Amino acid sequence: MSRTRRYEMLIVGAASICLAGVAMAANVRAKADVTCRPAADKLQYDCVIKLTNSRTGEPLTGVMLTVGADMPSMPMMHNVRPVKARPGQEAGVYQARVVLEMHGDWALQLNMSGAVHDRVIAIMRFEADSAAQISAPDTSARHKH
Amino acid sequence: MIDFVQNTIDGVMIGSSYALLALGFTMILGVMRRLNLSYGPSIMIGAYLGTVVYLQLCASPIMVVAATVAGAVLAGVYVERLCFAPMAPGAAIASMVSSFAIWMQLEQAAILVLPRHTYPFPPLATGAPLAFGPFLVRTDHLIMLTCALAVSTGIQLLLYRSRFGLALRAIINNPVAAHLIGINVRTAIIWAFALASAVGGIAGYLVLATDQQVTPMFGMWATFKGLIAMMIGGLGSIPGAIVGGLVLGIVEAHSQWYFGPQVRDLVAYGLLFACLVLRPGGLLGEAPLRELSAGRRGA
Amino acid sequence: MDDYLIGVLSNIGVISFIALSAFLLLLTGEISFGQQAFFAIGAYAAGIATALWGWPLSAALCWGAATAGAAAVLVGLPTLRLSGLYFSVATLAFAEMVRLIFEQFRYQVVVDGEPVGPNGTDGFRGIRYIFENDVGPLQYLGLIYALLAAAFAAFMLLERSRLGVAFRMIGEDAVLAGLHGVAVARLKVLAAGLAGALAGIGGGLYAHLTTYVEPRIFDIMLGVHSLAYGLIGGLGTALGPLLGVLIDIGLLESIRPLSGYRMIIFGGLVAALLIVRPRGLLDERVVHYVRRAWRSRRRPQRLLSSGKD
Repeated sequence: MSRTRRYEMLIVGAASICLAGVAMAANVRAKADVTCRPAADKLQYDCVIKLTNSRTGEPLTGVMLTVGADMPSMPMMHNVRPVKARPGQEAGVYQARVVLEMHGDWALQLNMSGAVHDRVIAIMRFEADSAAQISAPDTSARHKH
Repeated sequence: MIDFVQNTIDGVMIGSSYALLALGFTMILGVMRRLNLSYGPSIMIGAYLGTVVYLQLCASPIMVVAATVAGAVLAGVYVERLCFAPMAPGAAIASMVSSFAIWMQLEQAAILVLPRHTYPFPPLATGAPLAFGPFLVRTDHLIMLTCALAVSTGIQLLLYRSRFGLALRAIINNPVAAHLIGINVRTAIIWAFALASAVGGIAGYLVLATDQQVTPMFGMWATFKGLIAMMIGGLGSIPGAIVGGLVLGIVEAHSQWYFGPQVRDLVAYGLLFACLVLRPGGLLGEAPLRELSAGRRGA
Repeated sequence: MDDYLIGVLSNIGVISFIALSAFLLLLTGEISFGQQAFFAIGAYAAGIATALWGWPLSAALCWGAATAGAAAVLVGLPTLRLSGLYFSVATLAFAEMVRLIFEQFRYQVVVDGEPVGPNGTDGFRGIRYIFENDVGPLQYLGLIYALLAAAFAAFMLLERSRLGVAFRMIGEDAVLAGLHGVAVARLKVLAAGLAGALAGIGGGLYAHLTTYVEPRIFDIMLGVHSLAYGLIGGLGTALGPLLGVLIDIGLLESIRPLSGYRMIIFGGLVAALLIVRPRGLLDERVVHYVRRAWRSRRRPQRLLSSGKD
């Protein structure tokens, strides 16, 4: 057992060293409002994302937003390349075209860098003719009798 | 009290479909001594074929049943040829992981062909539920129960009254000795797979016709229900599969009534875990199979 | 290095933990479909520690590993006398139970004016440690691979130690190993605990990488995949599961134009590979030959002088 202990200590030491130089700073926390509409091509959706400061409510400008997607039911098993979002007309509004691999529930990862460094996850259900935000996943996909 | 009996009745009805799923599963497991994770998905392929026939050709229910069974059998034989036949006797986990890979393959193929979340399935019977005193029984549930009983009796007769059944039981007992006697083990196994898939196809049709829809999640669902029912009742035993299915159905019906659908699933798995820890052979099973293991000595 | 590549490499690193976890149990001869449960426990525990209790990341990861390891030991004890198929189904049942319990689990604390914490099927959002502490993607990647390297080094040492030999003996034939004096029961529980802890570390890293976990992520797919990686890459060495993960993600990248058919191609390739190499690419035989060739190359004098002199 002592050998295992030694390895555990090693691991803890390594991790602590890695994080020794990390600065502690409270930063901006973002909130996102996402609406998506099916685009012309199959499995493509045009999404409009509104970013606001979750504490003060003011829109976040100057953010480099990339939108990634992963399916909660099949984590890391899809290959959706993150797309860079373009700034929209209003402040704090961004647009992106998302290309998915199949219909169903996707967790959109809104990665922010630049002015604000944060990530927000928005879970949405994408079907052929609609895309809606869902708060609870559809566990009724399993048969209920 | 009325609720209790009503739930038990409902449970028995649903349990009969679980029993059929367990039946097909246990046939494959008994003959192959390996877990076939593609069992549910091969039934789902049959179901998708059935729904295509239903939608495109506006076929009658009989045609849909035929299509479902045919699809399930084709998929089952495909799985057998690819995942089980070519594997050496010691490669039990390889077969299992291979069947899992084919599960993913079949599921994606189904989603590619029919990408929507759900597709309609022809109903078994429409109309109001029948009333037996204070208890309600749905007509389609009754049909499901009758069919399940008929099929399981048929399989039991096949296994114990026919030459093919005798050959299968010999293979289940001792494959090497069966081969030495002159039984064509390879062909018999293919037929066993086909038969198990057909039984699964019928079970799938009954379940989906009661639900009147089919989703891509059906494959995994069917595999799990069949697996749980089979392990509760005991491997390698047909009465065990039936008892396991009924027990599972009843327990689920009661749990859902008192606690809701998520706890229902939790109780089902809890029951399975408890059965395995306390009585690995299952309620009616035979001695636990020791063959399936990761060591290279696994039979 | 662009962010996408960093993301993919981070995913590879995190999944390697659960692949190694399933591999460790495979060494002792047990097929476990349930390592995703310990991955989940590690993820939730570490996430709760940083997001709700304000712990630093290193403490949270240790906490995640410890809870997952403890849970693994708790499951390992009653399933000790189960073998083969029964053990596998028991692990499957346990993993699904854990997932369903997490679907009911609610524990929220108000942080910064908003409730944060696991919320049943809604999942656990806001594990924002790396954002609140300005840990860049590259730094986090470094952490993941530092821990993975440590785990891999531990495996290499295990292979050369008595414990590793004992594990493989139990895997080959537990009864025979017992007759040789190996404490089979104790070592099996130890293996279960270590594998659980390993998966727990991976889970903690995953939770902080994606900042969001929900019970649906930890289903049977993840479990059987973790087993499959070891089997594809090879069961002869700890490099095997890592190779398996690389092949899966690598294939994912290289057949991008056919991304809709990826599972069909991958499934068929895995089935075909397993027909030819039932114990994976780097199976015990290959490792044995490589070791022999390496040893003979390092000591040419021995071989030369083993003749008439």
